[in-house]
Amino acid sequence: MNLVESIGAGVRDMASHRGRAVITVVGIVLGVASVVTVLALMRGGEQQSLAFFDEMGGLREIRITNRRIDHLMMTAAEKASEQLTYRDAQAIQDECSSVGYVDPEIVRFQTVSYGDKTYQMKVLGTNREYPYADTMPLGEGRWLSDKDCENYANVIVMGPTYRDDLFGDQEAIGKTILVDGVPFVVVGIMAKKEFYFQGGGAGGDRNVLEWFNRSHYIPITTMIKRFTVSDRLGGLEIAAKTVDLVPTLMEETRTLLTRRHGVEDFNLEAKSEQMQQRSEQEGFFNIIFWAIAFVSLFVGGVVIANIMLASITERIREIGVRKAIGASDRDLFMQFLVEAVVVTAAGGVVGLVVGLGLVAVVSGVLGMPTSLSPGIMLSAFLCAVGVGLVFGLFPAMKAGRLNPVEALRYE
Amino acid sequence: MLIATRDLTKSYDLGAVEVQALRGVSMEISEGEYLAIMGPSGSGKSTLMHILGCLDTPSSGSYVLDGSEVSGLQGRDLARVRNKKIGFVFQNFNLLPRIDLVSNVSLPLVYHGSMGKAERAQKASEQLERLGLGHRLRHKPNELSGGERQRAAIARALVNKPSILLADEPTGNLDQKTGREIMDILDGLHREGRTVVIVTHDANVADHAHRIVRFEDGAVAEDRGNGGPR
Repeated sequence: MNLVESIGAGVRDMASHRGRAVITVVGIVLGVASVVTVLALMRGGEQQSLAFFDEMGGLREIRITNRRIDHLMMTAAEKASEQLTYRDAQAIQDECSSVGYVDPEIVRFQTVSYGDKTYQMKVLGTNREYPYADTMPLGEGRWLSDKDCENYANVIVMGPTYRDDLFGDQEAIGKTILVDGVPFVVVGIMAKKEFYFQGGGAGGDRNVLEWFNRSHYIPITTMIKRFTVSDRLGGLEIAAKTVDLVPTLMEETRTLLTRRHGVEDFNLEAKSEQMQQRSEQEGFFNIIFWAIAFVSLFVGGVVIANIMLASITERIREIGVRKAIGASDRDLFMQFLVEAVVVTAAGGVVGLVVGLGLVAVVSGVLGMPTSLSPGIMLSAFLCAVGVGLVFGLFPAMKAGRLNPVEALRYE
Repeated sequence: MLIATRDLTKSYDLGAVEVQALRGVSMEISEGEYLAIMGPSGSGKSTLMHILGCLDTPSSGSYVLDGSEVSGLQGRDLARVRNKKIGFVFQNFNLLPRIDLVSNVSLPLVYHGSMGKAERAQKASEQLERLGLGHRLRHKPNELSGGERQRAAIARALVNKPSILLADEPTGNLDQKTGREIMDILDGLHREGRTVVIVTHDANVADHAHRIVRFEDGAVAEDRGNGGPR
């Protein structure tokens, strides 16, 4: 008997024992449904993290921070180093071949006033290359220009949150505001930036990017000249031209800065490493999810083995007859194994449908991020077939090994 | 010689005691013979039939079927011999209940593995028609009378053109009239030149055969010719 015929016989047998088949596959249906749901949740979570990192400036970025010197006896080189400066940022821009943009940043909380209104606001000194300028369209006006930086211009681009408070219905562009008493001309207002984590426990409906909306930007050269005087930076973000070039840029930067500082007094961290850490945390939850799905499938498999063993007892005579007319041990082994796989494959299909429904409920009603792919559906289906193979093995072996004389005599 | 056995023994180890079901059976059956094996229960006649039918293997001795030694065969090889050379007819028919007659009769051809599906159905239908079941091809066994079921079982036994037809109490589950019909069919198969071996304790059934072998206590007690079918 060849495989195609075995499968046909398996399907017919299942059709003629509908009640038994339904009971048999309930476990598999639930198992496959939970595998689909778990995989869809995992993939949804990963995609949301990716999207978040993308909003945050992508995986091309490297963050450079000053390394704190925490021993009392500093070396001469350590004492001599100014640590990160705006000049370092310019040097990286000029000398590193793999760099895409450089984003030097000096952050200060400053008093901003217009008319009789006064606020404490976060002001960033930056340059034209400020990366979020690309992903964050302007609401009104224009972004900082190279000329602004060269000319130490007193211009400011404001985040949208305070715009209405300060100016109401009035035109904002062209107005002059005071930053720590220094007059600045408003040249642009950023568009509002939003990102919500679906179904997140801690304040799921909180806009995690609101801090962008509350930030204001002036040329970094103006920031240094008017306010900080020193050009030391708290931190520096740079981005490689492509994601592949991130390791190259790390090395180039390390070499350049060590030469300039005389000592390695800084830390380099790729955004992709942060991403990695985040997925490791998620991995722990994924293991728990997988364990649940695995247990459901295992239970389904045990049910199948159990019912098949019972059905073999019920069909001992059939086995004896088949052997008497020329079926070999192998023929019967194959027959019962194929029947198990046919039943679980059918359960797998039903489980997929149930799983799709569950995914719709989880993302629609509970608001958790989910994402389905053909790969997920295929692996869930293959899980079902695998369960049929593994748990059908023992009953099938038992059927194949039955002694025909005893089987024929069985009442 | 179609069948030649020499000193066949079969013993079962039942823990503390060893049961000797066959104690050295030597017999020959020629092609075209019509033979009845008789004996009380426990005489070893069923054991002999199982060994002749290659469902079981002897503990010792030799069994040559159709020119080849089969006593040492096992598993798949034994299954092939059963499939190609033996046709079984059982007391309780042993048709598979959930499939129709054509499928039941096709089964030996399925395990033979040399024919496509359409050809198998064709062969099975022909065999059923020859046994007067042309109008029952797509019926399931439980939709048939006992006699019809036994005729379907005979069709299944014949479909692979076996060397020998082994019938174990073929009329045991039938009323007298139907039993006679089945015996008429077996008589007819003998006249066509087939080798027919019947295992029975019913003297009327055995009387159809040309030769009667009587078993007692695991050995041949009597082996005599008989007048043949009336």
